[in-house]
Amino acid sequence: MNRIATGKGGCKMTGKKHGYTVVVGCGRLGAGIADGLYAEGEDVVVIDQDRDAFRKLSSAYGGLTVEGNGMDLEILKSVQLEKADTLIAVTDRDNVNIIVSEMAKQMFNVTKVIARLSDPQRSCVYQQLGIETICPSVLSARQVDHILNHDTELISEA
Amino acid sequence: MKKNILLIGGRSKAKALSLSLVAKGCRVTVINNSHEDCQMLADIDKCTVICGDGTKPYVLEDADASSMDIVIALTNADEDNLVACQLCGKRFGVKRTIALLNDPKKTDFFYAMGVDRVICTISAVTDIIEQQAFMEEMTNVIPISDGKIHIVEVEISQEDPSVSRQIWEINLPKEVIIGCILRQNQTLIPRGNTRIRAGDILVLICGGGQEKYALLELKGGA
Repeated sequence: MNRIATGKGGCKMTGKKHGYTVVVGCGRLGAGIADGLYAEGEDVVVIDQDRDAFRKLSSAYGGLTVEGNGMDLEILKSVQLEKADTLIAVTDRDNVNIIVSEMAKQMFNVTKVIARLSDPQRSCVYQQLGIETICPSVLSARQVDHILNHDTELISEA
Repeated sequence: MKKNILLIGGRSKAKALSLSLVAKGCRVTVINNSHEDCQMLADIDKCTVICGDGTKPYVLEDADASSMDIVIALTNADEDNLVACQLCGKRFGVKRTIALLNDPKKTDFFYAMGVDRVICTISAVTDIIEQQAFMEEMTNVIPISDGKIHIVEVEISQEDPSVSRQIWEINLPKEVIIGCILRQNQTLIPRGNTRIRAGDILVLICGGGQEKYALLELKGGA
């Protein structure tokens, strides 16, 4: 069941249900995650500075959208971040994702915090706070590696 | 021992600061990600300039961050200053990191994240403006200990109520002392029986926001 089903850019998440997740950054990844979590029955809030970014959400998305800066304490308080089980920081700027994640851990005691970092070199500093980091370039490289190895296996089998 | 100081970001702040630090005999390195700013900074004598993003570990490595005594992050973006200081502190073992901060609400958070000194530009500037606006008489006010204590310079003129009085006769607030008197190029450490003269410059140390009341006693007025 953990196969990724794509509706309109939505990812199917197979995690625990009926929690509250705050997503900061409504790019393709953020919108996809929000769509997927909402479809799973989670309470979801997406924060983005740009109102137009919310158009990336699917028409089925029924969670909340908040226009504002995710680094702004007032915005984070307004979405009651302290009640969230999960925060996912996926803006296009690494340092913004880091500061938002650290604020979520330090000031709002969010249990699970996930940040996307495009530069894997920085991740070492933040892991000790218990922030999970995902690095697309590392994941992609691993996948490329997997495909290459898989191909050579096929070739050697043939 | 020459101090090694690394400045990250900041255009005119970086320039003014590096000029003053170089003059004090510090070894200054500047990282800036604008090529144009780097050229301007490269004009400063004895200042090493590196063009790049100071929040990236390999750029900090180029700048030899691990040999720095002090790192000061001066960019306009709070998140960049925090990340630069965290990297320098945690990864490169820099003993003293200083970050500029725009949003005063994040001051405690920055300290909690391991930045050694946080300077909130907006509150520092507004504090000074407020003081200057309300207290014309003061020539100079320096806040220390996050503004809990102020060092205030006051010039006494002929018509002030404190002129020709001994210090014990002046009813200064408890939290205020006259630390020093400048009288015609001489520095006096005042005692209770020191008599204040016109033209004296008093240096006050004031706690608990009592400088207004001290001024009322010294210079009168409403």
